[in-house]
Amino acid sequence: MIHHLSIRELRDAILCKECSVTEVIQGFFDRIDQHEEKIGAFLSVDYESALAQAELLDRKLARGEAGDGLLTGIPLGIKDNIVTEGVKTTCGSRILENYIPPYDATVIRKLKKNGAIVVGKTNCDEFAMGSSTENSAYFTTQNPRDLERVPGGSSGGSAAAVAALEVPGALGSDTGGSIRQPAAFCGVVGLKPTYGRVSRYGLVAFASSLDQIGPLANNVGDVALLLRAIAGSDARDSTSVKRPVEDYLKDLGKDICGFKIGIPIEWFTSGLDPQIEQAVRRALKVLEGLGCSVQEIHLPHTEYAISTYYIIAPAEASSNLARYDGVKYGYRGSDDTNLEDMFRSTRSQAFGEEVKRRIMIGNYALSAGYHDAYFMKASKVRTLLKRDYLEAFKEVDFLVGPTTPSLPFKLGEKKTNPLEMYLMDVYTVTANLTGIPGLAMPCGFSQEGLPIGLQIQAPHFEEAKLLRFAYGLEAELSIQHPPLVLDR
Amino acid sequence: MKINTEEVEKIADLSRLNFTPEELLRFVDQFQKILTHCAQLEMLPTDDVEPTYHAFAEELTTPMREDRVGTSFSSEQALANAPDAAEEYFGVPTVIE
Repeated sequence: MIHHLSIRELRDAILCKECSVTEVIQGFFDRIDQHEEKIGAFLSVDYESALAQAELLDRKLARGEAGDGLLTGIPLGIKDNIVTEGVKTTCGSRILENYIPPYDATVIRKLKKNGAIVVGKTNCDEFAMGSSTENSAYFTTQNPRDLERVPGGSSGGSAAAVAALEVPGALGSDTGGSIRQPAAFCGVVGLKPTYGRVSRYGLVAFASSLDQIGPLANNVGDVALLLRAIAGSDARDSTSVKRPVEDYLKDLGKDICGFKIGIPIEWFTSGLDPQIEQAVRRALKVLEGLGCSVQEIHLPHTEYAISTYYIIAPAEASSNLARYDGVKYGYRGSDDTNLEDMFRSTRSQAFGEEVKRRIMIGNYALSAGYHDAYFMKASKVRTLLKRDYLEAFKEVDFLVGPTTPSLPFKLGEKKTNPLEMYLMDVYTVTANLTGIPGLAMPCGFSQEGLPIGLQIQAPHFEEAKLLRFAYGLEAELSIQHPPLVLDR
Repeated sequence: MKINTEEVEKIADLSRLNFTPEELLRFVDQFQKILTHCAQLEMLPTDDVEPTYHAFAEELTTPMREDRVGTSFSSEQALANAPDAAEEYFGVPTVIE
């Protein structure tokens, strides 16, 4: 059963000639054919191109070439807000329904250089705005752990595809929790790297000071491998940071004894589902057993994080989304009037409700008379949040807590209440506002069999240490995933 | 802060978005809820606090490089996704009568 293998196992099997790349790709396509109708993780799947690349790789491998890539022959899903040359990239929006990018994002170039094969583009909330993938203009994605529930969002398609074993790994993007929250909801591992660790060139911009691309996979080791392949500075993204990329696999398996863990007490409030709290506290006991010290810590401005985020992110979005005007690419509305009305009809017809709401909030927060009260105020509170974290990391190595306050909710349950949906992001937005890395990993299952995600946050650029720590915890927890409904 | 329909209409105009009267009413209501939640920030004293616009300003320098001629997209590539194009130009409705 090829689809049960990890990325590292698949790569080894390919390099040892236990199976061909074509067999691997075909194996995952069989899985997609079998289950995709129920899951709806992919907006598009490119069979022909993926199989052609697989054959080419097989021929190269037979000649003793192409074996040095980190991801030789590995099929991956890519969130549809990351541009892929010659392959339609919609961002889950009608406004880009026909957009075929003339170039690859830097992360795609790096993946291809390492021998990975992009098999399809995954569903997401429109322009990555949402926490359930229900804001996709195309269709909703079902959670493979419970088909009546949302997979989380906005990288819900990537998380669902990985959880359903349709691909062994995927890329998502995280602006306020969009990798970590769906990873938690689907029971997979997801990492938002430090801001600037991974190039954003070719990631369709939502909120430029918060957006970051990151990997999702079924285990910590595979996430480390994917990060190693995509990380690094890039001349095409001036916010990418010129620091050497570490070997994130090097320290995996080393003991994690002696690490100092902080539990932010502000994260364990009445809004937290008791089953989640229980599972997280159980994991903390396990960490103590491994020789880590656990102490309570304060992040005093936590209660202001959501407000801060939901001013700054829409403000940046309203500026970034001004480019969709029906001129250069994508949908165009009524053409028979004047230019100004063409802009209006294009945007009104082809943006979805949540995107319009955020453009409106953003423009309001930036408009004359309100700029100081909203945008400037939020930017100052962002400084206070950053100080909270700098103080905390003087005392501890990591912060550990829940990824989400609630278990995966039912499809349609929160769709009509935007504010309630925003509150889902309470534990994740701070990592984006402060730029630090955050990783979500399964730490148990609820009585109903729903996944529970633990979150680990680390200081800027400490991904190597973070992954070593998560790997150690994962091994000790050794969570037994119940069989997927698909496979029962 | 109380928000009214006229203000929402003004923002819609700035955003180049049209709304039906029903949509507008719904927006006013949702706007109010979201802004009421965000009003909690007013309570925080921030007079002596510098704003943060970038999580990482300390590490950020303007990257400089040599000014060299390189390859770029051709006109065909740049225009390939345009809803309307002619020769080397994007096509738009009449701008000046």
